[in-house]
Amino acid sequence: MTSVIEVQHLKKSFQSENALEDVSFTIEKGEIFGFLGPSGSGKTTTIKILTAQLEETGGSAYVLGKPAKEMKKSSNRNRFGILTDNSGLYTRLSIEENLLLYSKLYSLPTSAVKEALDFVNLYSERKKKVSQLSKGMIQRVTLARSIMHKPELLFLDEPTSALDPVNTTHIYNGLRKLNEAGTTIFLTTHDMSEAESLCDRIAFLHNGRIKAIGTPQELKKRFSNDTITVELKDGSSHYIENRTHEANKLYEWMKNEQIEKIYTNEPTLGDIFMQLTGSDLI
Amino acid sequence: MNIGRIQAIFVKDYKEFTRNYAVSTMVLLPLVLAFLYNKMGITGVETYFLPINLGFTAVTTFVQCCLIAEEKEKNTLRGLMLSPATLGDILIGKGLLVFIVSAVTIALTIFLSGYEPANLLLLSIGLIVSIIFYLGLGTLCGLFTKSIVEASVFILPVMVVFSFGPLALTIAEQYPILKIAEWLPSAQIVELAYKLEGLYTLMDVTVPILVIIAWSIAAWILTAMIYKKRMVD
Repeated sequence: MTSVIEVQHLKKSFQSENALEDVSFTIEKGEIFGFLGPSGSGKTTTIKILTAQLEETGGSAYVLGKPAKEMKKSSNRNRFGILTDNSGLYTRLSIEENLLLYSKLYSLPTSAVKEALDFVNLYSERKKKVSQLSKGMIQRVTLARSIMHKPELLFLDEPTSALDPVNTTHIYNGLRKLNEAGTTIFLTTHDMSEAESLCDRIAFLHNGRIKAIGTPQELKKRFSNDTITVELKDGSSHYIENRTHEANKLYEWMKNEQIEKIYTNEPTLGDIFMQLTGSDLI
Repeated sequence: MNIGRIQAIFVKDYKEFTRNYAVSTMVLLPLVLAFLYNKMGITGVETYFLPINLGFTAVTTFVQCCLIAEEKEKNTLRGLMLSPATLGDILIGKGLLVFIVSAVTIALTIFLSGYEPANLLLLSIGLIVSIIFYLGLGTLCGLFTKSIVEASVFILPVMVVFSFGPLALTIAEQYPILKIAEWLPSAQIVELAYKLEGLYTLMDVTVPILVIIAWSIAAWILTAMIYKKRMVD
């Protein structure tokens, strides 16, 4: 596999404050990689360094095989797409006019605008002025702009934070299709279900450091306390270890047909984050 | 440079400009002043150049400054910077509309003031070079500010210095330091117009044009430097 992003011991300081302390990770081609952390953990700073909007204080960052600084070059800019919460749109122009501008900047045919609008479910609203749009619609237009040139690498900073469930599902399906077509996706979020549903691998970022990294399944296994909960018909609930010495209890309940429900106590990604950092993700 | 990208930015700016009345109505200022001077029967090269120099600052510099400041305020400039458009595509694309609007405004100002230059071709060269300078100045001011409100305040002293700089020369006898104002582009264009009204040598017309070109080069070099800085947070 080829590394699309390679970050080693990345550091970024703003005067006396350290936004990133020592961040290392690699993203392979074709992956959907989730960067999870609360506000202020360094997610946006990392994206800004990787897209040459910020310079690192220490360490190294390579994007698409080149030092991240080279993403400033015009020839590299059509290789990636980016959606951030402050990606601006021209408010006096319509949705379509905004996307037409970008189709020309990326030397794309006009048909790319329709394709991008279909991706975000906004084709029927294309004549609306951006100034009349809701926050969720603005986010969808910005997303359409970031994917319309079908980039090799897509940076998404909280892509569905302002969307309703229907449009969130629509966007997830679109992102999966884009990923199947070869786009590597770097996604930051503090939405655990989003990370679990979309990402091949995730990293937990806290106070500028990566606390854990792996597939959601690996992380759950690693942080599992290996217990199961048994709920009986009498309303009582029993928390038992998944060990041989507890097997008799389970056998007895089953023999007497007392069991109502039985399930493993697998930690959620939120639980894991809490376990690692002692704080919540929000 | 890519003509398609320059054209796309120009078309976008045109649509935005025509829908932004607060900025687009600024073109009326020099036109009204020129019309009034004409009606009042005030003539003379210096008088003709009051609305012309006001056109350079109130239209070329102010409008360009506001367009750039608004792009910064709405974070759309960063969007352009992150697209494949080069420094040249963006600066030319963003300057083209104001260049055309300024050229038309200055031409109308000359017409409305009743000014009939002795050598329209040579004066036009000076006026075009002036527009290029004031455009650079507007871009520079826009890059320095963060919002339209900030830009409108920031631009005021710049407008005063560059529009009314030549007036300082009238009191330069008492305050010799003010003689420096004769090197301002606004003073140099008046100087060129004066020379063209009488007998002139090649040097007489070359020096003012070269001085304005020097100002333009300095303004655009500085603009490119600041633009590159603004690409990074």
